[in-house]
Amino acid sequence: MSEHILQTKNLSYSYPDGTTALDDINVNIKRGQTTAILGGNGAGKTTLFLNLNGVLKPSSGNVIYGGKSIEYSKKGLTALRQAVGLVFQDPDHQLFSASVYQDVSFGPMNLRLSEEIVRKRVEESLIKTGIYDLKDKPTHCLSFGQKKRVAIAGVLAMEPEVLVLDEPTAGLDPKGVGEIMRLLKEMQQDLGFSIIIATHDVDIVPLYCDYAYVLDEGKVAMEGSPNEVFSKAELLRNLHLRLPRIAHLMEILRKNDDFEIGNFASTISQARKEIKRWRENLRLVNK
Amino acid sequence: MINIDTFAYNSKLKDRDPMEKLLFTFVTLSVCLWANSIIISLTVLLIMTWSTIYGGGIPRTVYFKLLLIPMVFLIFGVLAVAIEITPQPYEFLGSISFFNFYLGVSKAGLITATQLFFRALGAVSCLYYLSLNTPMIDVMSALRKLRCPKLLVEMMSLIYRFIFIFITTAETMIIAQSSRLGYSRFMSGYRSLSLLISSIFIRSYQQADKIYTSLESRGYDGELNVLEKSKGYISTGYLKVLGINVFLVILTFII
Repeated sequence: MSEHILQTKNLSYSYPDGTTALDDINVNIKRGQTTAILGGNGAGKTTLFLNLNGVLKPSSGNVIYGGKSIEYSKKGLTALRQAVGLVFQDPDHQLFSASVYQDVSFGPMNLRLSEEIVRKRVEESLIKTGIYDLKDKPTHCLSFGQKKRVAIAGVLAMEPEVLVLDEPTAGLDPKGVGEIMRLLKEMQQDLGFSIIIATHDVDIVPLYCDYAYVLDEGKVAMEGSPNEVFSKAELLRNLHLRLPRIAHLMEILRKNDDFEIGNFASTISQARKEIKRWRENLRLVNK
Repeated sequence: MINIDTFAYNSKLKDRDPMEKLLFTFVTLSVCLWANSIIISLTVLLIMTWSTIYGGGIPRTVYFKLLLIPMVFLIFGVLAVAIEITPQPYEFLGSISFFNFYLGVSKAGLITATQLFFRALGAVSCLYYLSLNTPMIDVMSALRKLRCPKLLVEMMSLIYRFIFIFITTAETMIIAQSSRLGYSRFMSGYRSLSLLISSIFIRSYQQADKIYTSLESRGYDGELNVLEKSKGYISTGYLKVLGINVFLVILTFII
């Protein structure tokens, strides 16, 4: 088993009208990790995802799953779509059935599994996503956050190795954002799948992600661990993004207020640690 | 329409086998149409009303308001049957002369009209029983079991789902337009409406495209294969359907 579950090699994609959406993308997704794809609007995140799932076929370059280049045959695509599950940004673009139960069963049914197994998987993913109580409700009576969970359950029921989510937190209230992200991390611990999320919500990246790519105009502009990426503030701002709020605060403290803070911090707990350390140092100096 | 939908999802009969309800509706409906007698029609109306209000727990006021909707059509339709126009006043119970003609009501006409009225009302009550107690999803799953063409049922289920998205989209757009005074004057209202219709068309097209992409990413291969939640099958339910209808048929022959 290779360390990387999903990779792209020199992936380029142009839309039929000639616009280049992706240009020479090299992305390596590590097994069992959470990878963020950052980028402003129109940076190519969604197009990249459609390529990862085989809905779009690269104009040049490869998508490599589990060390093998993917085949665009019917069999190859079915296998890929089972292994790489895609959750779309707007659940109304994904939920096609008025019944929650039916919609969740759609993916596993397409895998030609027996009815018994499909039922088991549907029930399990409804329980895991915390929406078992909604199984009898019609889709159009659900709230946005609930629909989002149904969309995730529908992909989860296919038991993917990689869960790809396009803007999972967009349109959710602050509580909903926390709940969805914690839910994903819990399921990741239980089931061991890898997660890729596209987002421009930079605050969630240092909290939940292990690695980050920044896309700009179809190219990979930056990559690294969240702290590596966020330590290059100027570059990030040129790419229509910003620092997480905490990282921004720490930057201001360092630059304008003469705080000598050693390590880079982009989450509340990291910042707390650094500020406490700074205070200790100050006390020692004063003594 | 949305109201009926909400009642169906809250009905006490919601979890009953949809096939039983479908059978109950259409067999009773056929008997009601076939018998063509006021007593049978009234019995059907009574049974269906009772099943909907007490069985399904649908609020009485809602049910009777719904029954009033077809009443308008019914009354006009029945009037056309009951009132005859003839050059000679013949066998009329009462009539008024009208230039060279007579407008009047005959005994036979009156009987036909009353029969028609109750027959239609009975039939309507059967359909209300179905639509107020059976969520659309269940109706479609029953149709699937009845070997209704797959394409038809798939279309039905997609249309049903998208009606709601369509309504929300249209609603938001109308609010957005009126908040910019789009409907304040007659001419601007006219223009706003045309813009609304054309942009809804474009949106629907985009929506269809997106939904196709997302279906494809979950392995769509031309058929929307889904599983239904299994519903309890009770043979006494079918026996009840049979019993009621045998009773109705016998009643028809006795009268």
